Amino acid sequence: MDVFFIIVSVFLLLNIVLGLVRVWRGPTVADRLLTTQLFGTTSIAILLVMAGYLEELTLLNVAITFNVLAVLLVIGLVQVWKKKKGETR
Amino acid sequence: MSILIDILLAILGVYLAMQSLLASRLSQSVFLFFAFGLALALAWVRLGAVDVAITEAAIAAGFLGVLFLDALRDFSPRDTEEQQNLTTVQNSLSRKESKSLLLPRLALVLGLGLFLLIALEAVWKIPEGGGLTAAAETLLPESGVEHPVTAVLLNFRAYDTWLEIGVILLGLLAVFAVGGIQIYRKPIAAADDPLMRQVILFFTPVLFLFGAFLLYIGKSGPGGAFQAGVLWGAIGILLHFGGIPVYSWVPRWLGHLLLTLGLVFFLLLGFLFMAAGDNLFEYPPAYAGLLILIVETLAAISIAAALTAIFANLNQMKKEQPNDTAQK
Repeated sequence: MDVFFIIVSVFLLLNIVLGLVRVWRGPTVADRLLTTQLFGTTSIAILLVMAGYLEELTLLNVAITFNVLAVLLVIGLVQVWKKKKGETR
Repeated sequence: MSILIDILLAILGVYLAMQSLLASRLSQSVFLFFAFGLALALAWVRLGAVDVAITEAAIAAGFLGVLFLDALRDFSPRDTEEQQNLTTVQNSLSRKESKSLLLPRLALVLGLGLFLLIALEAVWKIPEGGGLTAAAETLLPESGVEHPVTAVLLNFRAYDTWLEIGVILLGLLAVFAVGGIQIYRKPIAAADDPLMRQVILFFTPVLFLFGAFLLYIGKSGPGGAFQAGVLWGAIGILLHFGGIPVYSWVPRWLGHLLLTLGLVFFLLLGFLFMAAGDNLFEYPPAYAGLLILIVETLAAISIAAALTAIFANLNQMKKEQPNDTAQK
């Protein structure tokens, strides 16, 4: 069972590594931000897997923190775009 | 086998830190830094420091992220002319920096290297069984809380924590010093965007509730004033994004009171018990639990107010800049 958890964690971590390609290449800020959101989701998944593996439920709090604050970034970006549009007009 | 995860995390962390400094584009740097924050939070979890992981997650994923996005907007050129100006400035900078910045860089590298060596030596010297862990554990019943980290932070080493709350206030003062104390305007057409209004209506209670939960759970598990403060500060930032700048309808005296509340109450409490014959920041064990909870609540409110004010000031500053250039 341990091996299974570790394989899943490593697989999720490798997902983050692969996502870095988009952060490097992503032509617009939105692409990069969406990738970071994906990282956030993947991190939550890793935390949940670890919480199950280590049987430490406090890790769920870390996951929720990631979760509730992720919305701030998206709203921040949308507001940034709104204002930029207003300026160029 | 689980060492595989640790090695991967370590490589990822160092790589992301390096790349976020070396990336050629500003937006690359910013988002690589977010990813670095996430990797760091995971690394703290692997090290068993869940308190630090929550703080890192809240600061890196929430507060710093928004601040950086805001900065990114400011530094991204608006039209081609500005782009040209930027490149010429960059070129002239890169020509100059090769000579004049060599000495500061060398000093920085040497200083950081020395610091790292000292830190390594300190880590090396920790005796078997983890230094002061045993001492903290034995005194835990007298501290009034059940979680050793909270006991150390708010009872055994309360002075350090008091200073840390002061540091956040100092950061705000630095922002004030650079931008001047802003006179907040009246609210601009409060959240006429229906989607934004729904987001605010949904996330304000969620953030508040989870912040309060973290504050209370700090007594017996990972959590506490700083984490709760960041989450409550996120409410202020969210409202600011929605076109309801909190400091525009909170009276000025109340805003200042909220900012300093945690710091002042903490210090007053310390002096009160000093007058009663104890040491500074020494609580009577019978009331310690309650006092710590009050101190933490007020500190969280102050931290939230300070973070909101930092963001609001930085955001406001930029909004007014186009007007300034137009007047010139």
